[in-house]
Amino acid sequence: MKHVSEYRSGEIAARLAQRIAALVEPGRRYKLMEICGGHTHAIYRHGIEDLLPREVELVHGPGCPVCVIPMGRQDDAIAIAEQDGVIFTTFADMLRVPATNGSLLDAKARGADVRMVYSPLDALRLARENPDRHVVFFAIGFETTAPSTALTVLRAGAEGVENFSIFCNHVLVPPPLRAILDSPDLDLDGFIGPGHVSTVIGTRPYDFIAADYGKPVAVAGFEPLDVLQSIYMLLRQLGEGRCEVENQYVRVVRRDGNERALAAIDETMEIRDSFEWRGLGFIERSALRLRGRWTQFDAEARFELPGARVADPPACQCGEVLRGVLRPWECKVFGTACTPERPIGTCMVSSEGACAAYYNYGRLARRRSERTPA
Amino acid sequence: MTDACRCITCGDVAVVARVLELRGANALVALGAESEEVAVELVAPVQVGEELLCHAGVALARVAG
Repeated sequence: MKHVSEYRSGEIAARLAQRIAALVEPGRRYKLMEICGGHTHAIYRHGIEDLLPREVELVHGPGCPVCVIPMGRQDDAIAIAEQDGVIFTTFADMLRVPATNGSLLDAKARGADVRMVYSPLDALRLARENPDRHVVFFAIGFETTAPSTALTVLRAGAEGVENFSIFCNHVLVPPPLRAILDSPDLDLDGFIGPGHVSTVIGTRPYDFIAADYGKPVAVAGFEPLDVLQSIYMLLRQLGEGRCEVENQYVRVVRRDGNERALAAIDETMEIRDSFEWRGLGFIERSALRLRGRWTQFDAEARFELPGARVADPPACQCGEVLRGVLRPWECKVFGTACTPERPIGTCMVSSEGACAAYYNYGRLARRRSERTPA
Repeated sequence: MTDACRCITCGDVAVVARVLELRGANALVALGAESEEVAVELVAPVQVGEELLCHAGVALARVAG
């Protein structure tokens, strides 16, 4: 399949790996953060770490939209879902995220009408089909997903739909990056930039990483050759003493992003003063909410929500994993009490979560390598 | 993208789809052996046969050949 198979050639991957190894300077280590959970998934799925020299370490960033939603917001979602007359719609991954009193699936088992959708436009269709019910869409995701929510609000407004609202939890990529770069124990040499977020926002919003913090960025696609090439680009920048924002994913990412998508977001949403991220705490201006003129579609205005700040379960170490302090297998419940089938924390729920990705693709290879004498 | 699990929250892997048919503000696109309708106003005008990067029911970008 075009744009898939041609980016998975083992022969080219081996050549790229050789070129990466040739760029490694003796005695130097390279710690690179892949921001996006999609890259974390791709790295484990395709065994990319096995192709890299030991000097190159990949650190997983906060870019899994499921993982960063704090438990209090999940409680709010369940509170909405359990209201009389509500059809609560959500992407599949959010169904299984544990909250204080079980997950949305548990709420469904208790009688709530919770349904999985692939798009907020599907939720809007449900609202049209069920005029006697109120349909709520649980909007989560980064700038990649916000345009579909924005388009849905615009279409709902144009059609005059009255039984539809959005529980908006969209978050933004640049603010947590600045928080990570500002942390005193920062130990990163460069960033693999998120590919699909960048189709919307472009590469310009990452300029501060190079200009203010002196770290190189390579925005990358999600196939193995994309990721390897972005690592090559970062090592080449580091070797040449450059720090720039480079774009590996030129087949879909433009410098200015998708201006129509940005305009749709701007028309329907505004930046919140502050938003809580799991593992990172409150980050200023890091999330979106519906603008006042769309209040009729805002579930937060329509429903009374608990709005409580809820601590993660004591056994859960998702926070440390999201900050890159712990690797997935270092969490004390990884693969034992916490598995994709029965997750305790969000990182084990989404396929983009570092724990789930590592559980599904990496843990057996690691056990093999641990058994193999050096 | 047909041979990988598909994360619908962040457009994991390349969700590239070919336009089969135009339907006003939407288009029917082929995703492997399946087809689905996506909104195309953020990348319009599109043509039948063109490849689009799609996410959560919306086309976000045209894929450069």
